[in-house]
Amino acid sequence: MKKLTALLLVTMLAISSMALVAQGETVSLTMGSWRSDDAEMVQTLLDKYQELSGVAIKFEPTQSSQYNATLRLQLDNGTGPDLFYSRSYAVGQELFDAGFAMDCTDIPGVKENFPASALDAWQTPEGKIFAVPFAAVSQVVYYNKAMFAENNLEVPQTFEEFLAVCEALKENGIEPLSNGIADDWDILECVYLGMLPNYVGGAENRALYESGEKKMNDEVFVKSLEDFAALAKYLPMGFESIGNSDGPAMMGNERSAMFIDGSWTCGVWDKDYPDLEWGTFAIPAPEGNQPGICFHPDMGITGNNATKYPQEVKDFLTWLASPEGAQITSTYLPLGFFPMIDAPITFEDENVTEILALNEGKVMDARFVWAKLLDLYVPMVEQLNAIARGETTPQAAADVFAAEQAKIIAK
Amino acid sequence: MQTKKHSAFRGGGAINPSGAYWIWYILPAIIIYIMFMAYPMIDSVRLSLYKGTTGARTFVGFDNYIKLFSDEVISKRFWNAFGNTWVFFAYHMLLQNMLGLLFAVILTNRTMKGRRFYQTIIFIPCTIAVMVTGYLFKLLLNPQFGGYALRDMGLGFLAKPWLGDKSTALNVVSMVSVWQWVGIPTMMFVAGLQSISEDLLEASDIEGCNSWQTFWFIKFPLILPIVGMISILTFVSNFNAFDIIYAMETPNGAPDYSTDLIGSLFYRYGVAGEHPIGIPQPGVGAAISTSIFFMLLIGVLPTLRATQGKE
Repeated sequence: MKKLTALLLVTMLAISSMALVAQGETVSLTMGSWRSDDAEMVQTLLDKYQELSGVAIKFEPTQSSQYNATLRLQLDNGTGPDLFYSRSYAVGQELFDAGFAMDCTDIPGVKENFPASALDAWQTPEGKIFAVPFAAVSQVVYYNKAMFAENNLEVPQTFEEFLAVCEALKENGIEPLSNGIADDWDILECVYLGMLPNYVGGAENRALYESGEKKMNDEVFVKSLEDFAALAKYLPMGFESIGNSDGPAMMGNERSAMFIDGSWTCGVWDKDYPDLEWGTFAIPAPEGNQPGICFHPDMGITGNNATKYPQEVKDFLTWLASPEGAQITSTYLPLGFFPMIDAPITFEDENVTEILALNEGKVMDARFVWAKLLDLYVPMVEQLNAIARGETTPQAAADVFAAEQAKIIAK
Repeated sequence: MQTKKHSAFRGGGAINPSGAYWIWYILPAIIIYIMFMAYPMIDSVRLSLYKGTTGARTFVGFDNYIKLFSDEVISKRFWNAFGNTWVFFAYHMLLQNMLGLLFAVILTNRTMKGRRFYQTIIFIPCTIAVMVTGYLFKLLLNPQFGGYALRDMGLGFLAKPWLGDKSTALNVVSMVSVWQWVGIPTMMFVAGLQSISEDLLEASDIEGCNSWQTFWFIKFPLILPIVGMISILTFVSNFNAFDIIYAMETPNGAPDYSTDLIGSLFYRYGVAGEHPIGIPQPGVGAAISTSIFFMLLIGVLPTLRATQGKE
């Protein structure tokens, strides 16, 4: 027993002395993220930051669908990363309200360098900012250029042309789209919410639905759902069990001509399918509507209140909020993520430049439900799935939307 | 008293059957059990009386239980998951355990050749991670990827969205799980059947029993404790099942909650929160797990009494 106690004591001593040695060396921080796909790129960026500041940051991503749960568990148990990606709006704010996320209101540059639309996503109603805006994403249509050329098809300018393209491809025996409904998120986030700015318009119009002034079964919404239903007819065979990761695989292997997804996927094609000739276009608006595009504030970065190195964490956030930091960041930012800073930022990758250019001349807005109507997310997914399966009508789905909207507003 | 205590500490009482020395042998196990099993379980009962997450937790009494059984959405999901779990359990109880028994009887047959080979084949899936088998089957059953191979083989009619169709998803997932785990009951039954005395079997042979009679009147009664044990293990592990749904469908129990089990429901409410909101309600989760704990207890106790402890 005595021997065991002695051994334990020695071990503990050894561990604590190791910690002491470590403190003498460079500060090493950890960063949590849901972007495990970008581990290499972001680590390069963080290494660049180490060169500039001498502070090492290790990127420790979790799989996206597990991120919220894992991060929550880590924070609850005091083993959370020093810095972590913050989801926009209510989801990110929840961690701030629970006391985990750092108050970033006074980080120099945050208030000055970002547009209100970006800050809005990481701001409490009281005006506290709980993360530094890091990157936005957009939702686009990826298409196989060679297939379009072989079938004499042009990039569609209106939603009606889009449907005609789908029909032509289908007649020629090609699956037009490779989107499915198995994962319960991309059909809403990428397809329907990607379409919606073409119908609803920008943030001012969204606010009318958030306040209840407009009902979500008005003709705007019914029309958007009718168009969704028309598009859903061109989902591939067996779309009920096609998940989001099947989409790139299908299009990459030339088994479908188009895939509606987030800009974050644009790095996949050249890496995994180098032979694919691909391009992008915005989800077109129906004839007569003003074109809109979903440009969604997606990633913020914030500090952990329980970090051992609050100064180093704040320094990093300050750097992130500065124009110099943003330019360096954008060079190393994974493809398809766009900085939101109010400064001219240039991209080296032409595909990325092309995707960003799709925003020009269009009304831009965040994903419709994110700001205030997030409780609509699950009912919306359920209704879209039902429409795609042919189990409900656009009008009935819109009525469900309106009923849920009323419930949220009544809260 | 003085001497006993003395001897227990010195370890000198180890051969004294009246000493309390045995406590030292089970103490480590008890400590570990209390720390990692009993305490969290009791704490989760406590948690079910609270609302909110760390940092903002308030006592709400039985509100979470009232919510669980009366809230329109949550109670609908709960009973749906409860029903699905029974279907999932029925597949394992009937298909997996029956197959396990059948395999075991065949494997222990005296005329059986290549026993080890078959035993290995049947057991191999149990050694593979559920995430891996789940993913492989997801690809195999995918109408676009597995579907191409099927069409090449002229079996195009089999290329269906098995996992995306509400009427087939739960059955298919259950069968994949049965396929993976059938090795466990097989091995346990094999061990049980092998421990049956050769004399008994010989005697039944001499008395003129056919193989069905030998099985039903000799073998089966003798392995009844194992049948009971396997039933309990199946019962408990199925009510905890979550991984196969996570691997093959989504934590939502897609499509349309048709594969939602108690395990995935608990994960969604208690741990992860629904995507993308991701704000868990640990209180509701704890209420789900506590309710299930008592349901399991009601199921397990009679089974234990009926099959175990008849010595």
